[in-house]
Amino acid sequence: MKKLLLVSVSVIGFTGALFVQTYAQNRVTSLPAGGTPLVPDSQVNGPVPRLPDGHPDLSGPWLGGGSNADIEREGGLKAGELPLLAWAKELRDKRKEQDEPYVACLPMSVPRINPYPWKMVFSLTPKGVTEIYILHELGDAGAHRVVYMDGRKHPDDLLPSWYGHSIGRWEGDTLVIDTVGYNDKFWFDSRGTPHTEKLHTIERFSRPNFGTLINDFTIDDPGAYSKTVQLKFTARRVRQDVELMEDICTENNQAGIAGGYRLNSEQR
Amino acid sequence: MRTKLGVLVAGLGLVCATMPALAHHGFDTEYDANKKLTMTGVVQKVEWQNPHMRVYVDVTDNAGKVTTWNLEMTSPNTVRRQGWGPKDLEAGEKVTFTTFAGKVVESRGSLVSIKKVGDGRELFTAGGPDASAPK
Repeated sequence: MKKLLLVSVSVIGFTGALFVQTYAQNRVTSLPAGGTPLVPDSQVNGPVPRLPDGHPDLSGPWLGGGSNADIEREGGLKAGELPLLAWAKELRDKRKEQDEPYVACLPMSVPRINPYPWKMVFSLTPKGVTEIYILHELGDAGAHRVVYMDGRKHPDDLLPSWYGHSIGRWEGDTLVIDTVGYNDKFWFDSRGTPHTEKLHTIERFSRPNFGTLINDFTIDDPGAYSKTVQLKFTARRVRQDVELMEDICTENNQAGIAGGYRLNSEQR
Repeated sequence: MRTKLGVLVAGLGLVCATMPALAHHGFDTEYDANKKLTMTGVVQKVEWQNPHMRVYVDVTDNAGKVTTWNLEMTSPNTVRRQGWGPKDLEAGEKVTFTTFAGKVVESRGSLVSIKKVGDGRELFTAGGPDASAPK
């Protein structure tokens, strides 16, 4: 018990990441085999590595840093604080977990993360870092997400898509990613929290030490929310010998058969 | 090889707070938390596939009827990262396992634990083969 208390205190800054790990993996199956190994507590407070251009290296791989089961709770709000418009709350409460597109191997999008590792890849060219690619191990998170770092603006004729259009910039040591052009198909969590095509997100990623990545996350969606929402998620650095592995969700997805339900038309 | 239905345990009243759930889909939509069974059988195949790893076990009841149990686990990557590999469990091996039964298709279960008959080591657990070796 004493040991447990000590451990709890030592990782207090990483509650978010550990929560994700605990919730999404220890709850995983009956035979979860332990989850993804993370850097030990002794390495968490180590120095932040830097990119050749001097900015902090946010590569990872990371575990956590977004929503999963309930964006309201995981983002740091109390129950009922998420300012959903009436229709959106009604929709969330009506949705069944089994109907989430993710269950049918469709992408999770922003800021939904899965219980598996993900990372940022900085594309360094003679012009500097021109794009950042965000890769999730699980295939249904999407093959890749592009964040343009070359100063371009959002196009004004976007077709709604799973990951929208992302542009990034540095504010000091914080990477700011601004995204619009999302479709309304994905859910923010398995609880069913919705959004509309008016969704605009701002992610502010910072790395205060070796083992921690903070995602200060803004939801701006007047279609589904009465005001902008500020959330905070924390990711933990995955142990250094762990790399992303292949994970093709549609390979053998048997979701629903044991429970006697079929994936619905929006999932197929 | 003689296999028979082993112990049949109904784990009534299991603690809901620790209810297992799958990473890719929910536990409650697929499995019956009040039906926890322990059986013995012969491994038909082990699928190291996504999104969930599966072990298929042929279980023969007292009347000689064979039922193939399709036992779901977490992702193969998660199991692999703990140090387990394809040689740790192969077709033809006799095992004892515990599973939550499927809600509608009972023989599609969520695997709780599995070990080879005559070997005290629990397979596919955290820490890998070294950590799970009998002390």
